[in-house]
Amino acid sequence: MNNSFGASHIVQFFLLVALQVLLMDNLVLYSMGFCFIYVAFLLYLPLSINRVWLLFLGFIVGFTVDIFYDTMGIHAAASVLLAFLRPHVLNLLTPHDGYDSSDEVNIHVMGTRWFLTYAFSLILLHHAAVFFLETINFQTALYTLAKTILSTIFTGIVVVIIQLLFFSPKRERIDYR
Amino acid sequence: MRNLFAFIYRFRAFLVFLLLEALCVFLIVRYNTYQGAAFFNSATRYVGQVLEFQSGITDYFRLATVNESLASENAALRQELMQYRLAALTDSTASLDTTYFVATDSSMAYPYHLMAGRVINNSVRRMNNYLTISKGSADGVQPGMGVIAPEGVVGRVKTVSKHYATVTSLLHSQMLVSSKLKKDNTFGTIKWEGGDYRSALLDYIPLHVKPEVGDTVVTSGFNTVFPEGIMVGTISSVEQEPDKSFYTIGVQLSVDFAQLSFVYVVENTYRPEQDSLEQNAGIITDEQ
Repeated sequence: MNNSFGASHIVQFFLLVALQVLLMDNLVLYSMGFCFIYVAFLLYLPLSINRVWLLFLGFIVGFTVDIFYDTMGIHAAASVLLAFLRPHVLNLLTPHDGYDSSDEVNIHVMGTRWFLTYAFSLILLHHAAVFFLETINFQTALYTLAKTILSTIFTGIVVVIIQLLFFSPKRERIDYR
Repeated sequence: MRNLFAFIYRFRAFLVFLLLEALCVFLIVRYNTYQGAAFFNSATRYVGQVLEFQSGITDYFRLATVNESLASENAALRQELMQYRLAALTDSTASLDTTYFVATDSSMAYPYHLMAGRVINNSVRRMNNYLTISKGSADGVQPGMGVIAPEGVVGRVKTVSKHYATVTSLLHSQMLVSSKLKKDNTFGTIKWEGGDYRSALLDYIPLHVKPEVGDTVVTSGFNTVFPEGIMVGTISSVEQEPDKSFYTIGVQLSVDFAQLSFVYVVENTYRPEQDSLEQNAGIITDEQ
């Protein structure tokens, strides 16, 4: 069950989007650090998921957040970008002996270094896409860049916290709740 | 032919990626361009219900401040009303013989209707901020109407559903509000530049006027969205840059957008007439 898209991922979808819309919307650090925790849904998907399927999931989750945020298309575009780049980043990060069939995106299974590189690189690309699409112009590029970096750190820390709290060190996952 | 299909199959992920990104760009452009053209937004029924549920909880924590602002607004209105009563007492024209005096039609005097709505979703920290209010087309709200708070200008209705409406906040990179200095009626344009949600810029004030820090900025009433004289803010800084023919004026906005709870939607009953007249004359207003 580890490597297929199951009920736990659907539950994760609703929980993370609800968390994003109801709570994280109001939680902004120094008017610069935003937390787009819904990307964790895409990050936690199985390693061997079909690429096309992943792209559509990215679009769906981004679009859902867009509806609540009234930022039509921005989060969807960034999420599709993340979904497209995810298999490539996974390829770059392949361990020496390749991925096992039982491997999953889990900080205990894959190791801290692997997980941090994976999560932070994808989150950085996603957030850069969101903030630059939002401003369009490059006059305030420095401010946007600072916003991107601070937000990446914020989201990344929350993603790691969720991993440590809800993902078991064993190879099979307890139900996410 | 088979090669073509093989090619498409091989690059299907990339092609789907391009397709979805093109769709997103189309959505972004369309939502930013046309007033009220978007179909999916936070005024949609189910999204509105979720947001209303959320604000139903968070509103409890703000009850004290909301009550205070409503009470102070009541006091200000009551004071104004007393002045009118006093004026009516001393004014004897109503009892004059109608032979000498034509009574004015009081129903035509004030062409604006206000509809109170609760803010159920709000943002202040993005580049383009929107509000969602729980008043929709069933209550008479239409796209393009102005939205004000007791303290001043808030924004403009973008889309409506039956029970909800989204409002383009003044804190939006493409929102322009025609305004004027209260002391000498010089008009300019209010624009928000991002960053701090308590301050905006007042553009197009020519160099021959002398704006000073502390001067009041109000809406001009030149367009059909806002009535004349609605508070916008006070001038916080005046700079004269050497290569510009206009002042760069910073304005401290009178509305605290982070604390908005109740707003009024302004319906201008003369709006269709003025709009169609200006359109026929070929005048395009500077607002979106």
